[in-house]
Amino acid sequence: MHVVIINGSPHVQKFSNTDRIIKSFGEGLVAEEVTYELHSLSNRNEWDAAREAYIGNDQIIIALPLYVECVPSILLEFLESLPTERKSPAQLSFILHGGFDEGRQLRLAERFLQTLPQQLGCTYGGCLVQGGSFLIRMRDDKKMKKAMDKKLETYVKMGQLFARRGNFMSVEAQVFTGLEVNTKIALFMYRHLINRLIRKNFERFASQWGCTRPLDDKPYA
Amino acid sequence: MKTIVLNTLEEAIAPELIGTLVKDGDVEVINTAGMKISGCMGCNQCWLKTPGICVIKDDYEIIIKKLVGAENVVLVSGTRFGFVDWHGKKIMDRILPMLCMYIEFREGLERHMMRYHPLNFGLLYKGDADQDLLEEWSRRVASNLAGQSLGVIKMKEA
Repeated sequence: MHVVIINGSPHVQKFSNTDRIIKSFGEGLVAEEVTYELHSLSNRNEWDAAREAYIGNDQIIIALPLYVECVPSILLEFLESLPTERKSPAQLSFILHGGFDEGRQLRLAERFLQTLPQQLGCTYGGCLVQGGSFLIRMRDDKKMKKAMDKKLETYVKMGQLFARRGNFMSVEAQVFTGLEVNTKIALFMYRHLINRLIRKNFERFASQWGCTRPLDDKPYA
Repeated sequence: MKTIVLNTLEEAIAPELIGTLVKDGDVEVINTAGMKISGCMGCNQCWLKTPGICVIKDDYEIIIKKLVGAENVVLVSGTRFGFVDWHGKKIMDRILPMLCMYIEFREGLERHMMRYHPLNFGLLYKGDADQDLLEEWSRRVASNLAGQSLGVIKMKEA
């Protein structure tokens, strides 16, 4: 099996969380002797090659981050440039991730993605859904590295699973999402204990990025 | 109450159409088709490096400044794949500087805090689309902006 993976994130590949997820997923594919090629839409020079790969292959995965409750505009623009009929059959699957932890945040985008394969003349191979990806980009931060490496390791396993099953329709892929919403205890903990810690972490990240203003600054007020 | 209408269509928008979503108050229409606006790059600099200021220097800054003085935002968009088209989505993707990095819970979900104030959101669309999907999207976008959905209306073809 050969898999075409299209990175639908607008973020440049070097800093793309989606790219890190794909690379981990790809490790899993390769471990099962499945080959893959990657095309990143953030680089417009890759669009022609991405289109050719989409048209000429039968196993396609689009990986994307949640953007304002659905898919990023750059991916919509690319999709609008694809043919809606195919000469040969293909399966279209998705890896959808988002910054917040809860699976519910991603369900509307998943619902939209479920409709796409048919509109593009493909069959649907399922959608791997998981939140909590914001901190992947912060894994250079010593306090975050361990947790994020562990998270990426789960994508290696999902790559192996896809290589064996050929889709994301398995129970293992469906439970990969983890928590759908936070529990009441988690909400209580957040409000009274964790919120301050998270704010301090964000402020530390900002300081590392050279930020000199408060994070809730109002520059246009 | 001030309403900013972000018209991403090539044609002008009839005022009575806006009245289907917003009954009163000042309305200002911004036609984005002729503006120089790039897509969001997801760099997070507007949250973590220059809070509230987008790193992309283009005409979207005009929109952000208008939104700071508004309570409602209405998107006017074409459609594709049953959803808003990429032109409409691009305009919404760039709204991130209106939010900030800090998190709170709204309706039981993690949400970013608004930088200035809540914004209500509504959608006028042209073409075929999944009405239920768009209504749910509008509710989620409004929740994301700490406001209410003003509704989703399909525009009649001329």
